[in-house]
Amino acid sequence: MSAIKNFWSRIGKKGRIIIIVVFLLVIGGIGAILVRVPDPPHVVLPPEALVSIGGEVEHNQAVGGFGITNTMITAWISAIILGLIFYFGTRKMKLVPRGLQNFVEWLIEFMVNFVDSIAGEEKGRKFFPVVATIFLFVFANAWLSLIPGYGTIGFKEVIHEGAEATTVIVPWLRGANTDVNVPLVIALVSFVFVEYWGLRFNGLNYLKKFASFGTLNKSLGLIFRGKKAGFATLFNGVIDVFIGFIEFLSELIRIVSFTFRLFGNMTAGEILLGSIMFLIPWVVADIFYGLELFIGVVQALIFASLTLIFVTMATAPHEGHEENAGHAEHAEH
Amino acid sequence: MDFDSARMIGAALAIGAGALGPGIGIGLLGMGAMGALGRNPEARGPIMTNMIVAIAMAEAVAIYALIVAILLVFVAVPKPGA
Repeated sequence: MSAIKNFWSRIGKKGRIIIIVVFLLVIGGIGAILVRVPDPPHVVLPPEALVSIGGEVEHNQAVGGFGITNTMITAWISAIILGLIFYFGTRKMKLVPRGLQNFVEWLIEFMVNFVDSIAGEEKGRKFFPVVATIFLFVFANAWLSLIPGYGTIGFKEVIHEGAEATTVIVPWLRGANTDVNVPLVIALVSFVFVEYWGLRFNGLNYLKKFASFGTLNKSLGLIFRGKKAGFATLFNGVIDVFIGFIEFLSELIRIVSFTFRLFGNMTAGEILLGSIMFLIPWVVADIFYGLELFIGVVQALIFASLTLIFVTMATAPHEGHEENAGHAEHAEH
Repeated sequence: MDFDSARMIGAALAIGAGALGPGIGIGLLGMGAMGALGRNPEARGPIMTNMIVAIAMAEAVAIYALIVAILLVFVAVPKPGA
């Protein structure tokens, strides 16, 4: 026994890690041979309903009534865990923070600095709550879905495909971001948030971005008064109207792009982990676990920072057009 | 060509061709970031953050292609009667 202890203390940190990895690889290999290789991932894109209030569940979809899906449950779990962390972190506040309070303060400080660095201090404080909530919710959904048990524990279901019958698992818990409805809802919240603050800060001027008839009006006016100068700006006027239309479209396309960016990344991550587990059990999957942890942070950061950038752009004072027009008028007089 | 081989080829083409543009884009972004880092090594933090955000924007295009491929492989079913 002492020989093993001696050896363990002599090989150093790197040696220990290598031994542990080799040990896990061997166990993974033995497990794969003796027990069985995990099944290739069975991909279901729509969320599976577990129970249906006032209806029945057929083929994992609620028929009539209101279905409680596995992604809804994980979204609630994320929200509850975030709430608990912040409740216990802020319950007994001390001047010199320790433990959970320290962590919560660090997190909030990081996010406040981030928001302030993009939106500026005055606006940043107004945008902070929604942006931080988006960040934390997406982040919690992404990281919690990596806990073992998510996507692996659930009902057994037999699928008949022709003569073959395969058994698949309908998980009780499934990462909330892998349900297209969750990213869509967050994207809609972000959209409403951007438009609200745009209107609040710039009033009706905000809408001028989408309907810029100013140049066209002026050139048409010149033409009707029989001045040839109108024709020169007519083309610019038409282009301005067109740009307004494109601006309006891009506002709507943002929702789609927000939705599918998050949904695609998270779904692809789950499928990737499943496939790697199927190809090489255990150790190699850990590397991809690390990748998924990184992607979870990055996607949350991107969702929050893009919302922040859009809202900062929408609330930026609108003067470019008016100023130019004013100068042109001055020059004419 | 039967339905299964058609959708498999379609999925492979979707992600294969769809990854070309984002690949070039991410390469250009990395090049720009490395150049900026070489000129101004102190600005490492902001360059990193902005690079990651921009790369994620480029990557999103590849993700759309990936979604099409996933839909083709796992979700697409033949039309009845086809």
